[in-house]
Formats: sequence, structure tokens, C-alpha cells
Amino acid sequence: MTWLLGLPTPQEILNLGVRIITSRTFLEIVFFPGFLNIMLSAAFLTWLERKVIARVQLRIGPLYAGMWGILQPIADGVKLMFKEMIFPELADAKLLMLCALGLMLLAAAPVVPIPFGDGLVIANMDIGLIYVFAVISLFPSVILLIGWGSNSKYSFLGGLRSLFQQVGYEIPMWLSVLGIVMLTGTLNLGKIVEAQQKLWFVVPQVLGFAVFFTAVLAELERTPFDLPEAEPELVMGWMTELSGVAFMVGFLAMYTKLYVMSAMITTLFLGGWLGPAILPQPVWFLLKTFLVASAVVIIRGTFPRVRIDILLRTAWTRLLLLAFANVFVTAGLIWLGLGGIWRV
Amino acid sequence: MALDSWSLVAIFEIVVFLVIFPVLVFGWLMGAKGRNPIRDAPFESGQTRLGEARRRYMMQYYPYLIMFVAFDVVAMFLFTWGLAFSALPISQDYVFLVFLVVLVAPLAYALYLSGKPEFW
Repeated sequence: MTWLLGLPTPQEILNLGVRIITSRTFLEIVFFPGFLNIMLSAAFLTWLERKVIARVQLRIGPLYAGMWGILQPIADGVKLMFKEMIFPELADAKLLMLCALGLMLLAAAPVVPIPFGDGLVIANMDIGLIYVFAVISLFPSVILLIGWGSNSKYSFLGGLRSLFQQVGYEIPMWLSVLGIVMLTGTLNLGKIVEAQQKLWFVVPQVLGFAVFFTAVLAELERTPFDLPEAEPELVMGWMTELSGVAFMVGFLAMYTKLYVMSAMITTLFLGGWLGPAILPQPVWFLLKTFLVASAVVIIRGTFPRVRIDILLRTAWTRLLLLAFANVFVTAGLIWLGLGGIWRV
Repeated sequence: MALDSWSLVAIFEIVVFLVIFPVLVFGWLMGAKGRNPIRDAPFESGQTRLGEARRRYMMQYYPYLIMFVAFDVVAMFLFTWGLAFSALPISQDYVFLVFLVVLVAPLAYALYLSGKPEFW
């Protein structure tokens, strides 16, 4: 019985638990830059999108749940949770649910290295930029798996289109941020934000910003590049056969991705948490992020959809050449000795 | 107790999993159940289903896929070059920019050979 004496007492376990729960890392993971933040923001974005699209189309939008209908996402969530999950007869229901879960895990992962304030970041990664790109490039594979698992032609076509879309947008998206890496000499997102203290990167990297924003629209599968779920052609694209709570999780994952990518645009080009000291840093960050997200939503309300061959052609000619032009312009800036402004 | 980045990513993913997975199970348990051959048919705009969806599809846009493989590898190397850009002397930057031109020129020539002015 002597080995029992070596075990921690209940008091010690309790103390350890309290220390973990009150530690800064735990609070960051569970609350502010972490889980609760992205869930609430994604829910808020669904409401924002409905309101903004309603204004664009001269409607009012959700009105009854809470003030200005702000509780509408919660009402939708409760409704979807109690709905029947209908899967087609030949579909792989377990695979679909696992893929919805996987989409959510993937959509949440890029938030880890994004700084929401000075030092307010879950993990201060030195390769944050590469990490974010690596994670978001896994999306089309999962979407194709959903399309295949649904065993429905619309879903499968949507999945294939998602894959081709990635072939189009990914290279311009990578190359458009190369200028920032050249100017700052780091892949750490926190240091990239600090480098913008004198001037935001949207000014010297305006070509890169244009290319990156366009590529992000394609990456998020938003209009004018929402081919994988083009409603008039493919019903709901790869989401056609998702239903009930699986649909809710998949849908929430797409809005989480919208939030995360808006945060990436803010971090890389719009100065992240930088701003006058009248507001706290995270407030500046969230303001900018939601402004970018609103711009994405307004574009959805105003532009028509393009064909997939036009998307691929544009990405491989105009976007790619503009991204290369941005690299050459940045090289010229550094050779002229102007790069010192953004060194960290 | 300092955790490295990858442990933090793992902990974060576990937190997301611990919340989302019960939600899925809850929805599975609470939702109504019942099978009905008409309701279980995949949606094909009101038509009856024509065969399986898992069949051969035409692989379109193949040249883009080949270009993608080449450029994807190169793009990764460009990041390591970009990191060192300011530290390198101009002579070596210049050599790499020549490499970039060599990369873009065949692409431009291929698009020129396709003979379609709308490609530009």
C-alpha cells in the first residue's frame, strides 16, 4: 500500500485544476481569441450577412428574435438541432457527419497563430503564415469527400468544382503575400503586424492586396466564385445532402472560415490590432475584421457568378501575373532602400 | 509550464472537438427518425434517380492541374527565398529573379501558343 502515498492528494489535484483553468493559455484557448470567440463571431456573421444582403435587396431581414433579430442564429441553431437528419439511401451517413466535424476542426485551426492584440495570441508561431495556408488548403479535400459520400450527383459535382477552384486560386494567393515576407523577413503573424506600425501593407502591397482579396473570395467559395454551391445550377452544391445538425456544423464551418480569412486580410494588409489608443487593440482588430467580412458580403449581394473556366483562366493569367508583378515591385522597393520602414 | 505551438494547436482542436462532437451526437439522438424510399432518394430536381453518383466523370482542365503541380512546389521554395531577400546581396537576388522570369516565360508562351486573345 506504500505506492498510494506517492499519488497526489485530492487537494493537489484540485489546486492543479484551478491553476490550469485560471491560466492565461487556457483562457485564451477557450474564451477570447479561441473557441468561444470564433463560435460567437461565426454566428454573428450569419446574422450580419442576412441583414446586409437584406439591405442590398431593399428588404429588412431578420427582425423578431431579439433586438434587430440578433438572436436569429441561436433560433436557427436550436431549430436545426432538433430536425431530422435525412441522408440519401446510398450515402455514407457516418462519413458525412465525420466530414462535417472535420470541416469545423479545420475551419477553427487557422485562428491559433493570428494575433488579436499585442501578445494576445494562442500560439506565437514562427511559421504562422505557412501554417494558415497549409490548413486552409486541406478544405477542398474534405469537401470532395462530402460530395463523394453523399452519393448524389449535385454534391459530387460541387466537390469536384471545389477542387478545381483550389487549382486556380492557390498559387496566386501564395505569391501575393510573398511581397510581405520579403519586406518583413518573417513568417510570424505578430511580427508582420508590428512591422506595419508606420504604414499598413495595403499601401506598398496594393497589387498583392487586390490579388489576395480575390483569391480569398475564391477560397471562401463566395460570389462571384461560389461555383461549388452555385444555387441555380447545383441546388446547394456539396451541401445538398447535408441535413439537420450536420448541415448546421458544416454551415458554421464555412462562416468560421469567412471570419478567419477576414482576420487574415486584416492581419496581413490592414495593420491587425494597430490603431489609435482610444479603443483597446482587440476592438480595433474585430472592427477591421467585420468591415472586411461586410465587404465580402456586399460583393455577394452585387456581383454575378462567373463560369469555372473563366475563374481558372483569370487566376492563371491575370492574377498570377499581377502577383509576380507585385514581387518585382517589392524587390524594386527594397533595392531602392525603402524596405527599412517595414523591417522588424 | 510553457507549451510549444503544436501542443497548443492540439489542445485547441481537442476543445473544438469536445464541443462539436456532442452537438452532432445530440442532433442525431434528438432528431426524428424514420425511413421512406421517396424521402431517402438523393435530390435530382424532382426526377427519379438515374444510377449511382459514384461513376466516371470527365477530368477537365487537365493542363491547369499539371501547371499547378509545378508551381505549387516552386511557390514553397519562393517563401524561403523571400525570407532571406533583404539579407542577401543584390547579385544573388538578381539570380533568383532571373529564375522567376524563366518560370513565367514558358507560362506566357504556352498561353500565347493557345492562340486565344481572350486569355489575356
